[in-house]
Amino acid sequence: MPDGSRKEMTVSVASIEEILKELHINPVEVVVAKNGKIVPEEETASSADELKIVRVVHGG
Amino acid sequence: MLNDLEKKRYSRQICLFGEDGQRRLKKTGAFIAGAGGLGSIISIYMAAAGFGMIRIVDCDSVELSNLNRQVLHWSGDVGTSKAASAKDTLEGINPEIEVEAMEETISIENIDQLLSGCDIIMDAMDNFPTRYILNKAALKKKIPLFHGAICGYQGQATTIIPGKTACLRCTFPRAPPVTTFPALGSTCGVIGSIQVTEAVKYVLGSGGLLENRLMLWDGLSSSMDEVACARNPSCQDCREAGLEREDN
Ligand SMILES: [Zn+2]
Repeated sequence: MPDGSRKEMTVSVASIEEILKELHINPVEVVVAKNGKIVPEEETASSADELKIVRVVHGG
Repeated sequence: MLNDLEKKRYSRQICLFGEDGQRRLKKTGAFIAGAGGLGSIISIYMAAAGFGMIRIVDCDSVELSNLNRQVLHWSGDVGTSKAASAKDTLEGINPEIEVEAMEETISIENIDQLLSGCDIIMDAMDNFPTRYILNKAALKKKIPLFHGAICGYQGQATTIIPGKTACLRCTFPRAPPVTTFPALGSTCGVIGSIQVTEAVKYVLGSGGLLENRLMLWDGLSSSMDEVACARNPSCQDCREAGLEREDN
């Protein structure tokens, strides 16, 4: 999770977009890595996958 | 060729990567987009390291609230243009290099002209819409873009080599919402320093770069992490630049 915590989710197969919605995370603010690799939000994931949700920073 | 003063000035680098390496830095023109928190660190270290030409662009004036992190500008510079202040500081650090400081807003219209004569692009912007302009220009000119961004204790960096790695839009398809971001100078120090190290290694052709790797710095827990990036087959910027997706 963006705050560094971990969360177990049981889903059969869902898109990243749906998973973010479930978690009440605005997809515009994050990128999601599935098993260590950034994937587009159309990509699907299941309970077997590890997702890392990274908050995108934009400042300079 | 390096003169005697340059050989002395860069002696600790010459023992790291030789006079040949130092000459390569001297031959490199670096475009630095922004003279804020990241731009301060990037330009100061690039000037000190001896990148031969630095063109730094910023449209703003120095404000008192910039000074906690924008170490390129000093208290006496408040109210003056960041470009002028940047030129003063950088020339003071290293008179052997050429510094061009321009008070401009980077746009689709002027980016080609701003980049003329530059071999690499350093991203020191504070917003994604302008970063996407840099990304498109990098893809079009086939020159590297060294991305960095910060917020508070957090930062991220990646190195984009057109035709070889994911572009900025592949990794970040949409701009995150614009907010006034909290900023700690030392976070800019971490990320800006990583960007400069990447640029040095790119020019020298040494070491391993942050290619297809998004590095994540969390200053609050003092931890570095990274995730892999890949070309996004539906990336509009890659498509517009005519970059075919390599199978990997
Ligand atoms: Zn792309």
